[in-house]
Amino acid sequence: MAPRVLWQAPYIIPPMVTFELFVQEGCVPDESRTRIVEDIEAICAEVLGAESGPVSVSWTVVPKGFGFRGGEPSTTSLVRGRIPDGYGPDVRARFLRAIGESWCNLTGATQDELMVSARDWSWTG
Amino acid sequence: MPFYRCLIPKDSLSYEQREQIAVAFTDVHCGLSTAPRRFVQVVFFDTDGSGEVADSHGNGVMRYETPYFIAGGNRAGRSEETKRLILSGLIEKFSEIAGVPADMVSGRITEAPASWTMEAGRILPDPGSEADWLAEPAAA
Repeated sequence: MAPRVLWQAPYIIPPMVTFELFVQEGCVPDESRTRIVEDIEAICAEVLGAESGPVSVSWTVVPKGFGFRGGEPSTTSLVRGRIPDGYGPDVRARFLRAIGESWCNLTGATQDELMVSARDWSWTG
Repeated sequence: MPFYRCLIPKDSLSYEQREQIAVAFTDVHCGLSTAPRRFVQVVFFDTDGSGEVADSHGNGVMRYETPYFIAGGNRAGRSEETKRLILSGLIEKFSEIAGVPADMVSGRITEAPASWTMEAGRILPDPGSEADWLAEPAAA
């Protein structure tokens, strides 16, 4: 009798999107946070599609005197995302721009006060 | 980018030390690369001593074993030698300004393609192509 071959599926990360939001203390009003998360979720669904999975958002507030840009006190926020693999450069650029526009509209920040990124899930850099 | 997170024991550095380190990191990074100074972001976080920090790579956690740790995120595309010099320069300056032995400071720099990040409303250029990028009008 021939040995039975068992097929084993490779480990697959379930599709999802995560965002780490680093904001300088006092630069993003607390009342804006819910709307920011809602907008991020809506943009993920619209630009990446429903198959991108659920969205998880975490906030980290950088206390005054703890954040610097170019060696000077910073007012810049960092929005760091991880998205499922496979999106092309045009989709990713549209995604980043949409997040950026929403962020600036909701917080009153300028584009110069924002960095947005979206890395592939499998990227280990 | 770059984005350097300095993980430090609670209350271990004064504001003046943090500011000096931020300036020194900017000097080190821009001295070894063509990045404009405004690209360099440095933040300090008081740690709880757990030896790990959330990270946007791999399984989402970066572990470290020294009291002070530098977690860097840079654009990909530089030589291994440049990357090595940047990290060793950061550790040297951190140790000097913080007044702690260099073996109490470690770090790791991860990288990602420049096109995965937007700054000032525009997709970042690859390292070495900053002049054209800076010459373009900024987004509103």
